[in-house]
Amino acid sequence: MNGIAASQPYVIAFFLLWAGLMKLLSRRMRAQAGQTALARLTGPARAVPVLRLVGLAEVAVATALLLPPTHLFDGVAAALLSAGFLAYLTYAHVAAPTASCGCLGTHAKPVDARSFARAGLLLAAALITVLLAAAPGLVPAVTLPGGLPEVVVLAEIAALLALSSELDRYWLVPLRRLLIRLRRPLALAPTGSVPLEASLHLLRRSPAYCSASAQLTSDVRDTWDEDGLRFVVYGARDRTAVFAVPLVGDDPRAVKVALVNA
Amino acid sequence: MARSTAPDPPADLLGPVQGEVSWFCCGTAWGPCSSTGKGACGTCNSGNLQHAWPNTSDACWAITRPDSCGVGLSRRTCGFRHRITALCSGSSVVTAIADCGPQTDLFCGERSCCGATCASNRLIDLTPAAYSQIASLSSGLRPAEISTA
Amino acid sequence: MRSRRDVLRSAVLGGGASVVAATAMGSLGPEAAFAATAPAPAQKVEPGAPDPDFAEGRIRSIKENTLLVLGSNLVFHTIRVVDGTSLWKLGPVAFDQAKPGDGLYARGVRMPDGMLAAESVWLNIVNIKGHIKNITGQTLHLDHNGHEVLCHVVAGKSVAIHSESPPTEDLSMLKVSQHVQILGAWRPDTNEVDIATVFSPH
Repeated sequence: MNGIAASQPYVIAFFLLWAGLMKLLSRRMRAQAGQTALARLTGPARAVPVLRLVGLAEVAVATALLLPPTHLFDGVAAALLSAGFLAYLTYAHVAAPTASCGCLGTHAKPVDARSFARAGLLLAAALITVLLAAAPGLVPAVTLPGGLPEVVVLAEIAALLALSSELDRYWLVPLRRLLIRLRRPLALAPTGSVPLEASLHLLRRSPAYCSASAQLTSDVRDTWDEDGLRFVVYGARDRTAVFAVPLVGDDPRAVKVALVNA
Repeated sequence: MARSTAPDPPADLLGPVQGEVSWFCCGTAWGPCSSTGKGACGTCNSGNLQHAWPNTSDACWAITRPDSCGVGLSRRTCGFRHRITALCSGSSVVTAIADCGPQTDLFCGERSCCGATCASNRLIDLTPAAYSQIASLSSGLRPAEISTA
Repeated sequence: MRSRRDVLRSAVLGGGASVVAATAMGSLGPEAAFAATAPAPAQKVEPGAPDPDFAEGRIRSIKENTLLVLGSNLVFHTIRVVDGTSLWKLGPVAFDQAKPGDGLYARGVRMPDGMLAAESVWLNIVNIKGHIKNITGQTLHLDHNGHEVLCHVVAGKSVAIHSESPPTEDLSMLKVSQHVQILGAWRPDTNEVDIATVFSPH
C-alpha cells in the first residue's frame, strides 16, 4: 500500500502544475476569464488577477510536493487547495450554472458531475498524502503483488485524465466519431416520400412566396398531395393563400400561388 | 486577447446591414428554455419585442466574434432599438436589445435566401414574439435587413 | 373538405371566380393584391415591451375551442382557436392534437374581453442551438448551454439543411462536436425533442 500512497504527491503535483501553468501562461484562458464562474465570484475586473494568484499557488504547492523531503505541510496545502476547489465548484454549480469553471483549460463547458468527481479524487489523493506524512504507521503495511501498485497509480491517473473534459477533443470526440463511422447510426433507408419541411423550404425560397408573404397571417393551415404537386394553404387576413409546390425538382420558380376570397 | 472591436468600420454604422435572423426563447419558460434566465440585460422575455445583439460588451463580443466571419458590428447596449425587416415580404418589427447573441462565428458563411435575395451570417436573434411578427416560428431562420430605429 | 380543397387547387392551377391574384408559372402575374401597398403601419407596441397579440405558456385545460394557458410570467391567457387558425406540432396538425401540458406560442388578435383570437398556434416548438455531443441510434445528443437535450430523428419528417443545399432526409452527414440549430417539438416534461429541421452551417 505504501507504494500507492507514496505516489500520490506526484499525481497531485502533475495536475496542479497543469492547472497552474495554464492559468499563468495561456492568454486565451485569461481572455475568457470574464465568462468563468470566477468572474461571478470576484467581479469581472478582478477575475484575471485572482486567476493568476490561484495559478501561482498551484505551481508553488506542486513544486513543494515534487521536491523532497515529503513534508506534512505539502500535503495539507494540497488538501486545502483541493477542498477550496471543491467549494468553488459547488459555488459555480449553484450561482453560475451556465458558466465554465476556468480550471484546467479554455473549454466553455459548465461545471458537471465529472468536474466534481475529478476534484473529489484529487482531494482523496491529497488526504492520503497528509496521512502518509503525519502517521506513516497508519498506512497498512500490506505487501501487494509485484506491479499492482503501479497499475493502481496508472489507473488513477487515467481516471483523472478521463474525467477532464478539457481533454475530450483529443480522445472522446475522435472515439465517438470512429464509432459513428462504424455503426452509421443515422443512415436511414429513404422513405420514398418528400418530408413536408423539404417542400416548405423550397416554398420559402420561391418568388411566389416572396410576393405573397407580406399578406400571410397564419402558419400552414392545410396541406395535401395531388398529381405530383403539394398544396400548402395559409391564412392571409380574411383571405386564403394557396401554394402549389412540385414534389420533384428544386426550382423555386416552379412554385405557384393564388390568393382566394374564401 | 480578444479584440474588443473589429478592424474595419462596423458594417452597420452607415446604413442597414443584411444577415440571417433566427429566434430564441428567454425568461424562465417551458422546455429547454427552463434553465435560460432573463438574458445578459436581465430583462429578456419570450413574449416581449426584444432581440439579442452580438456586440453588447467586450465579453459578449469575445463569445460571438462576428469579425471571424468578416463582419464588424457597432457596440450597442441594453435597450438599444433595431428595426428588423424580413427580405422579400418587407414586414418589419422594432425591438430592443435584451441579450448577447447569436454566436455568429459558429455559423460563418451560412446563407439563407428568399426568392433571389440572400443574406449571409447570423447577426441577430429575436424573441418568439418579435420573430412571429415578420415570419412563422416554424421557419426557424430567415434572411433579414437590420437598421437602427 | 374535399370540395374546399378542389376550389383551392383549381384556384392555384387554373384561376377561378374567387381568385384575387395569382402567379403564372415561373413569373409573377399582376401583383396588385400581393404587393405591400402602403408602408407598414406604425408599431403599436413599444420595443422591449410585451406584445399583447402574442401569448406564451403551457396549456392548463382545453374547453371546446378554447385553450387556457398559464404564461411563464404567471399570467393566464385564454386563446380561442377557430377554423382559420393554424396549429403546429412538428408540422401542421388538427386541434385535437393540443393536450394539457403542452407548451405553446400563439399569435393572433387580442379581443377587448382579453381573449386572444389565434391566427397561429405553435405547440411545443423549440429552436435551440448547441453542439452535437454524440449520435446514438436515431438520436442526436445536443449540448445546449451545458444541458443535454436528446433530439430524435422522426422518419419522413426530420430534415437537415446544410446552408444553401436543398433539405435532405439523410442526417448522416452530421458530425460529433459540430454546432447546429435544431427546430423541433419538445416532448413535455422531458429533455427530449423530435426534430423538424437541423440547420448546419456546413
